[in-house]
Amino acid sequence: MSFWYNQVPMEENFNSGHLACQGCGATIAMRFALKALGTNTVVVIPACCWTIIDGAFPAHAIKVPLFHTAFETAAVVASGIKSGLRIRGKGDVTVMAWAGDGGTFDIGIQALSGAAERNEDIIYVVYDNEAYMNTGIQRSSATPYGAWTTTTPEKHPEDRPKKNIMEILAAHSIPYQATATIAYPEDFIRKFKKARDIRGTRFIHVLSPCPPGWKIPSDVSVKVSRLAVETRVFPLYEIEDYGEKYTINYWPKGLPVKEYLKIQGRFRHLTEDRIEYIQQFVDRQWEKLVLKHKLSHGTLDNIPKNVIYR
Amino acid sequence: MKEKFGLHNLPEAPVTLETTLINKTGSWKNIQPVLQESTAPCTAACPAGIEIPLYFDMLIRGRFDEAAKILHESNPFPSITGRVCPHFCEQKCNRGYFDEAIGIRGIERYLGDLYLDKKWSPPDVTRDEKVAVVGSGPAGLSAAHFLRKKGYRVTVFERDQKLGGVLRYGIPDYRLPKDILDREIEALKREGIEFKTGVEVGKDISFEELKNSFDAVFFGTGAPLEREMRIPGEELFIKGVEFLKDVNTGKIKKFSGKVAVVGGGNVAMDVARSLLRLGATPVVLYRRTEKEMPAIREEVERAMEDGIEFKFLTLPVRAEKKNGKIELTNIKMKLGEPDETGRRRPIPIEGSEFTEEYDAVITAIGELADLSIFPEDLLNKKGWLDVDLRTTATKDDRVFAGGDLVLGPATVIEAIALGKRAAINIDRRINGLELKEFRPFEKVVEYKKIVLDYFMEEPRQKQPEVPVEERIRHFDVEEVGDYTPEQVQKEALRCFSCGHCNGCGTCWVFCPDMAIGWENDQPVFIYDYCKGCGICSAECPRDVIQMVQVRTF
Ligand SMILES: Cc1cc2nc3c(=O)[nH]c(=O)nc-3n(C[C@H](O)[C@H](O)[C@H](O)COP(=O)(O)OP(=O)(O)OC[C@H]3O[C@@H](n4cnc5c(N)ncnc54)[C@H](O)[C@@H]3O)c2cc1C
Ligand SMILES: Cc1ncc(C[n+]2csc(CCOP(=O)(O)OP(=O)(O)O)c2C)c(N)n1
Ligand code: SF4
Ligand code: SF4
Ligand SMILES: [Mg+2]
Repeated sequence: MSFWYNQVPMEENFNSGHLACQGCGATIAMRFALKALGTNTVVVIPACCWTIIDGAFPAHAIKVPLFHTAFETAAVVASGIKSGLRIRGKGDVTVMAWAGDGGTFDIGIQALSGAAERNEDIIYVVYDNEAYMNTGIQRSSATPYGAWTTTTPEKHPEDRPKKNIMEILAAHSIPYQATATIAYPEDFIRKFKKARDIRGTRFIHVLSPCPPGWKIPSDVSVKVSRLAVETRVFPLYEIEDYGEKYTINYWPKGLPVKEYLKIQGRFRHLTEDRIEYIQQFVDRQWEKLVLKHKLSHGTLDNIPKNVIYR
Repeated sequence: MKEKFGLHNLPEAPVTLETTLINKTGSWKNIQPVLQESTAPCTAACPAGIEIPLYFDMLIRGRFDEAAKILHESNPFPSITGRVCPHFCEQKCNRGYFDEAIGIRGIERYLGDLYLDKKWSPPDVTRDEKVAVVGSGPAGLSAAHFLRKKGYRVTVFERDQKLGGVLRYGIPDYRLPKDILDREIEALKREGIEFKTGVEVGKDISFEELKNSFDAVFFGTGAPLEREMRIPGEELFIKGVEFLKDVNTGKIKKFSGKVAVVGGGNVAMDVARSLLRLGATPVVLYRRTEKEMPAIREEVERAMEDGIEFKFLTLPVRAEKKNGKIELTNIKMKLGEPDETGRRRPIPIEGSEFTEEYDAVITAIGELADLSIFPEDLLNKKGWLDVDLRTTATKDDRVFAGGDLVLGPATVIEAIALGKRAAINIDRRINGLELKEFRPFEKVVEYKKIVLDYFMEEPRQKQPEVPVEERIRHFDVEEVGDYTPEQVQKEALRCFSCGHCNGCGTCWVFCPDMAIGWENDQPVFIYDYCKGCGICSAECPRDVIQMVQVRTF
């Protein structure tokens, strides 16, 4: 058949009329997540763009219960809700904390670390748009090296590399971790379904393009997400067996990072030498990841290569 | 009654009461997507405008009947063009810039052959008017078919004993087996077209008589006259079209000796390649270089693979009979400025004459129409038939013309296209309607509009071929074979489907606003909620979704 997305359920658990900006990647991400998890799910959301996206009282966009909570508390509130449900005999309900990068890499990290260390039975998703977007594009520890934000203006752009949240979580020895991004719907949905069926703390890092924050036109969100993967800035991989087994899901084309950077206004000021610096950083990170895959599998041959990865 | 909460009247524990569907966020936009198919470059390049991506789509979905109907709607003889067409489509195929052009002609041949013996018959005679068609080449057969489909009674007049024109008496068997042609013609007979063979218009029946006994007449009499070289000794030469006719009727079964073939077009290639298969040693003499040869490129390549000798920049200037052989004197040429056809004009190099001995010389330097049957007032100042190519109408209201007769030596698919154009306009003329003028397609999908991220390099499927050393020993073994069903499927799947929605679902999958519904394998936009982000349009791999302005600020 000609339909390309047979692994994407037709089921829609998210209503139109939500309040996201045009072309919001975090919205596409939620759409895929709920297609995968189904309606037997509770979502916990701290302060972030998604607080707004879901709609203002009395309306609500996603077709499952959503609990709004304080900025730093997503992981702990989700753990609490899961316990409550379990005590009431509803242990089969999936509880998903869905937080921004600010709420995860920065202010929410202690709650997340606690939950992960206790191996709470929750899915924790960080939809990473690489800054505090809801409050006006301030930098977070997820903002990548070289990026412009309102607090890292062009004269003093971000001068620290992005925090490696996947490694921090891997150090907590949790059963399942994965990266995902919106340009790869089938990969995305497969990972959420897999996470749903595992018990314990599951952590998914979703790269989520933000048109106003990244200074891109609204129609290139998907393209920029795809370029993040193809340039190896954001590889698609999983960590299983309590932080032990690394699996690269797709071997990217390895396009120059410049392809990814040049279409985003937030990197426009970068000079060639800064771009080269970023390229070297990306290459080193990628090489380390490849070694981890090799260590886990004894081979690289099982990584899908030269395929259209959806 | 449900309590109505508001900002002034918040409940103790605020829980949502309704969905965001109350927010018609579609009001945020100033541009919105529309599904707007445009023309694929292959379709635009095909003289008959075959909707290639559309029928490929049906083929992929296994809807063979629909695929075949779409194909036959523009081209009733795909088994023929699927073998001999120069595939203008493939030359412009967008996939050609990516890896290799789609094997469109091979797919056409496959589908044509699949339906060769089970074509749909047109409606019964529903019209009182009768139309005559003169000539049973592809132009005449196409006109007859489409007129019959419109319900007219159609009679075809053909001066030869058998039907098909050049398809029968020109193109050799190893390229187009007669069996295929016969089966195409059988289908036309089943449609109820009346054929009168052995009737020459202008001799057995006059132009006036014909016009008076029919409501309209279509002329597709081709370009059967071989041009003359106008050099001394010309009477010693054999004319290419006549030679091929004798070969095709079986009159000539063997030919030996060294034979000069003068010319660089399709006729020259068929003559040379036929000679080789009949036992002779052909040498092609062409006055320009390989690059300027008007023959179908593939045919030139095949002739070279066959091992035929080519002498470029060579022009015969006189011939003499000596000891039973022909002494041919040639002059060497060089290329000068481009002429009106854009090809560089050959100029003789003084003093470069040389003489060679041949057993025979066959000329194929271009064919001309025979206009002697037409009354003066239908001709223009140059003495050619005055035809409006956009409509195929002549200066006489009841006379239409197409094919090589009006184009000069052209191609089968152009003849088919003009035959259809004539049928449409004969019908309109009979119904008292204004004629339909055909124009080139306007919105053609450019390569840069294809989103290449959705495609992977994949080699083109190859049709089987008889090895060269084998093929040059046979006349009636078709040298190129058919795709297998699997190959057809693979090849059709390589197609980008330029400008045609094939229901891939990419727009639907990425819409952040759930503003794309999915009905009948196609997207349906829900404008109440579409915010106009443009992702569907940017990601559609084949340029089917356009963003249009709906509001200005
Ligand atoms: C040798 C050769 C090889 C070719 N190879 C190719 C190829 O590979 N691919 C391609 O696309 N094209 C090829 N062509 C060109 C193609 O065959 C012609 O463009 C096409 O056949 C033209 O179709 P037509 O119907 O206009 O004329 P024709 O095919 O010439 O048919 C005209 C018919 O009208 C009949 N006729 C003429 N005068 C009268 C009359 N007064 N009364 C009754 N009947 C009459 C003739 O007998 C003939 O049957 C080739 C041409 C030749 C000569
Ligand atoms: C304790 C606390 N500090 C500050 C805020 C203000 N605030 C609300 S959302 C937000 C930014 C959230 O950024 P991130 O988590 O990256 O999510 P995004 O908005 O980018 O989606 C901030 C600073 C708050 N709600 N609570
Ligand atoms: S890719 Fe398909 S639709 Fe596009 S030009 Fe080639 S054959 Fe035609
Ligand atoms: S993305 Fe696919 S389904 Fe959508 S309009 Fe384009 S071809 Fe059709
Ligand atoms: Mg953020």
